[in-house]
Formats: sequence, structure tokens, C-alpha cells
Amino acid sequence: MKFILMMSAPKENWDSFAKWSKQDLERNAAFMRAFNQELRDSGIFVASEGLGWPNEARLIRARNDGEPITDGVFPESKEFLAGYWIIDVESPEQAYRLAARASAAPGPGGKPGNIPIEVRQVLSGFSDLGL
Amino acid sequence: MKYILLMTGTRGGVDTYRTWSKQDIDAHMAVLQSLNKELKNSGEFVVTQGLAGPEEAKLVRGEKNGAPVTDGIFPESKEFLLGYWIVDVATPERAYAIAGRISTAPGPGGVPTNMPIEVRRFAEHAPRES
Repeated sequence: MKFILMMSAPKENWDSFAKWSKQDLERNAAFMRAFNQELRDSGIFVASEGLGWPNEARLIRARNDGEPITDGVFPESKEFLAGYWIIDVESPEQAYRLAARASAAPGPGGKPGNIPIEVRQVLSGFSDLGL
Repeated sequence: MKYILLMTGTRGGVDTYRTWSKQDIDAHMAVLQSLNKELKNSGEFVVTQGLAGPEEAKLVRGEKNGAPVTDGIFPESKEFLLGYWIVDVATPERAYAIAGRISTAPGPGGVPTNMPIEVRRFAEHAPRES
């Protein structure tokens, strides 16, 4: 079963993250690299990406003629996706355990960030939707 | 440049979608499948995925001993990811144009859903797809 583990945060948390010390950032990056390597070694890694900053985020709708209407205004409470992992595991419980590991990634001073990780099953195709 | 196009909706929106007729769903999916094919032909397609319903979504934190604490309670206004496309395009404007196309996919009675699509660039330092 494939699951996506999503790490999201409001803009103010991104602003705090931008102020982390180099040492804190390096500690967090080292954790992430080791975590990804462990997922690769155990054969459950599918993909992982980090996303660009919220100030670059755009919301697009189509005009009647199909041309895109671009908007960069989001509510204050908007949770921006910061990054994700896609993993292929045996059970939801295994996905939850790994999400807890990602949640414990070190923050400032090496304390666990304790960021909530949203876990969702990824469908393998239109057939999963009965189409 | 790689961009992710995120399609999200509230639980109420998902409940409405589930009342669409088969004909409306087929017409919607046909447009998206045709867009996927077009993106594959232009070499801009990386991947697309649909996600299982919001009722299965869980929020996970780690306890002090590392054990997962699982919660499935979200605010009413929570925007759930429904699915996404990853595209590799020359400019942000091209990503916006593709997002616009997704936004015009037909809803009930063939009227465009006009759903907002969030467009985000991938960070360059990020690990690549395996």
C-alpha cells in the first residue's frame, strides 16, 4: 500500500524556520538524509520532495476562455505543504510509525519538532476509483 | 523547473463529488486523462496521483518514546489533498497554464468545476524521485 506523509505549516512557522541557526538546520538536514537512506535501504522509499517557499505559491483558476487567473493571496491560517514522502508499506500502522519518526525530526536546540504529519493513502490509478 | 499542482477540497466538497452521476465523472476523468496524455507527449509529465478519501486521513505525531499518536480529527474547513500532478516545465507561466486547464475540467452537466489549483515549485536542494 502506498501512503503519502505530508508535512505542512502556516506561513509564520516558515518564517521561524528561516531564522534557525546553521547548526540547527544542519542537524535537521542530517536527520532527513539518514531517514531517507533508511527508507531506501528497506525498499519502501518511493519519492520525497521539499517545496519552495509559500511566498511563491499561487492559486490558479481558469477564466471562461480557459486562460489562467493567478492569485497569491491565502488566508492567514493556510497550511502550506513543506514537503512529503511517498512510501510503499505493508500496513497503515507502518506508515503511522514512520510518520511519527518524521515528526520527531530535530528542531532548534535538537529538540524534536513534533510537527504533525498527515498520512493519506495514495491510489494506484483510476481503477481504485472504480473507473 | 519542477512544479507540483495541488488539487484540494473540503470534506463537504468531496461529499458533493460523490453525488455526481457516472456520466459526469466519466466526462471529468476523460478530460484529465487527455490532459495527462498531452503532457506525456510534450515531455512535461512527471507523475500524477489521486489520494484516498478524507475519512481515512490521519494526523500523526511521535510520543516521547517515538510511538505514533494518531488522530483523525480535522477542522471543518480543512482542505484535503485530493490529488496532484508534478510537471517539468520551462516557466512558471506554463505551470499556471496547465493548472488552468485542470481547473476547466467539467463538473456536473459539463460545466467547468473552476476548482482552484495550488501551484508550488520544488525546492532545488530536495532529494530527487527515485
